[in-house]
Amino acid sequence: MTIQLLINGISLGSVYALIAVGFALIFNILKFSNFSHGGLMSVTAYIGYVASIFIGHYVKGLPLFVVTLIAAALGGGLLALIVERVAFRRLRNSNSSVIYYFISSITMGILMENSVTIFASSNFYSYPSFFPTSVIRFGALSVAIPDLLTLLFSASALVILLVVLFRTRIGLAIRSTSFDTSTAKLMGMDPNRVVAATFFASGVLGGVAGVFLGINYTLYPQLGQLIVKGFVASVIGGLGSISGALIGAVLLGIVEIFLIGLVGAGWSPVVIFVIMLVFLLLRPRGISGVIVQEKA
Amino acid sequence: MEYLVSTLTFTGITLIGVLGVYMVTGLTGLFSFGQAAFLAIGAYVSAVLYKNLGLPLPLAALVAMLVGLAAGLLVGLPTVRLRRDYISLVTFGFGEAIIAVLNNTANITGGAMGLSGVPQKTSFLLVFASLLVCVAIVISYKNSKYGRQCLALRNDELAAKSMGINVERLKLVTFLIASVMTSFAGVLYVFYTTYVEPGAFGWVISAEWMIIVFVGGVNSLTGAVFATFILTGLPEFLRFASEWRIAIYCVIVLLILNFRPSGIFGEHEISLSFLQKLFRKGARAA
Repeated sequence: MTIQLLINGISLGSVYALIAVGFALIFNILKFSNFSHGGLMSVTAYIGYVASIFIGHYVKGLPLFVVTLIAAALGGGLLALIVERVAFRRLRNSNSSVIYYFISSITMGILMENSVTIFASSNFYSYPSFFPTSVIRFGALSVAIPDLLTLLFSASALVILLVVLFRTRIGLAIRSTSFDTSTAKLMGMDPNRVVAATFFASGVLGGVAGVFLGINYTLYPQLGQLIVKGFVASVIGGLGSISGALIGAVLLGIVEIFLIGLVGAGWSPVVIFVIMLVFLLLRPRGISGVIVQEKA
Repeated sequence: MEYLVSTLTFTGITLIGVLGVYMVTGLTGLFSFGQAAFLAIGAYVSAVLYKNLGLPLPLAALVAMLVGLAAGLLVGLPTVRLRRDYISLVTFGFGEAIIAVLNNTANITGGAMGLSGVPQKTSFLLVFASLLVCVAIVISYKNSKYGRQCLALRNDELAAKSMGINVERLKLVTFLIASVMTSFAGVLYVFYTTYVEPGAFGWVISAEWMIIVFVGGVNSLTGAVFATFILTGLPEFLRFASEWRIAIYCVIVLLILNFRPSGIFGEHEISLSFLQKLFRKGARAA
């Protein structure tokens, strides 16, 4: 029973990890909290839904699921590029203060959430069921297939991201620009392209996360507000650290599943908030132990 | 006429909340996504105390403000030592947590059904008088030593620190004043609408207040007041569909950000001396 809950928790944690890493990528490179990420997830959840309805006429089951994921991921990536262009490009070029990035990202987030409300109205939709909700048995252990697939696909998305980040030229460019923008620029990297690439990667992760959120809950315009889980995971893991975000998110998923068993789904946000406060008091730099300072 | 008064009353209550955001965001550069949660605290605590326990209204309001203060301490203490991003992330979580508490204590707060049957005690005059007091507090805070320290902190935290400003205490004090002020707005709110529900206090409200402050001008109190009237008062009269209204705000804000990043009023205030200067300049030109 406990192991079963553990697997559920890790599966939920892997979705939170998608959110938290997408958030941490932008934090690393532009040094601000990107609140528009939630709005982006709302939109991509609907993009995935529309794709699944259209393509559902031709394919069913697992292929349909994969196509839906890819559509949402690409949609999320493109949307993130647009967000970068509209909301942050000019700010970056004029070296604006962090306050403006904040306002811009909040506004963009609300705008996306509202566009969904306007076009889809506040009705609830739900994804077609991709796979039969049966279980796989490993001896005494039974694991639900959707949980397993969620874990599988989120983990592969994260692994792909890590490979791109640590094994390719563009990944090197992203990491060095995160470390020091002006030096990277002097070394001949085009900051506009690097930032755009980062936004694309973050948008892809957001898109995949949006589909999983849409499957786990129903589709509604405020779905993206689950980004608060990503925030909590980043705070626990240490703001701006990708490995910290991963660990924090998986921990959060496990804790949440156990909390739902203990105190019920309603109270769990409260308990998680308290855990986050305690964490901030005891170890403000988070699990990863790296603290991002304001630059002089 | 009644409609006009009720719209003005609502705008006044919103304005008190916006003043709190102005202190936190406009003056100090902190971003609080939980400001609406303080509104909820003020509304629920005072209404429950008054309705269920029969406390006199002023006492209930006072307790509500104290609870708001305590909640502000709870959120503020761990976060003021850290980067300013933390306060936005933590207040976001705080807002969610408060809504969860309200939804789960249905036997006291009515849960998702909301709390109804609160008598209407707030009048336009009361709101107007409170508003004047709050504006006076904010003006004197802005012109005091602390206000100038806040501005220094907003522009460059590191520099402010090295000039000997106790940034942690300053952030905490500003945040607490705003928390109490917003809780007070909550008291006015519940005793005017006579009905509250948890759904009315989401982060979009907090974000909307921030946008209002921003449209007016990051550091201009006049701008904040002006923008509140334009952005909350006018749409009431013009009867926009509310979804489109918010989308239009967002587009306006993005335009302002890209083309006039300091907001409508920028750093200017409309005060007597400013008007005199303007007048003199005009006279010289003529």
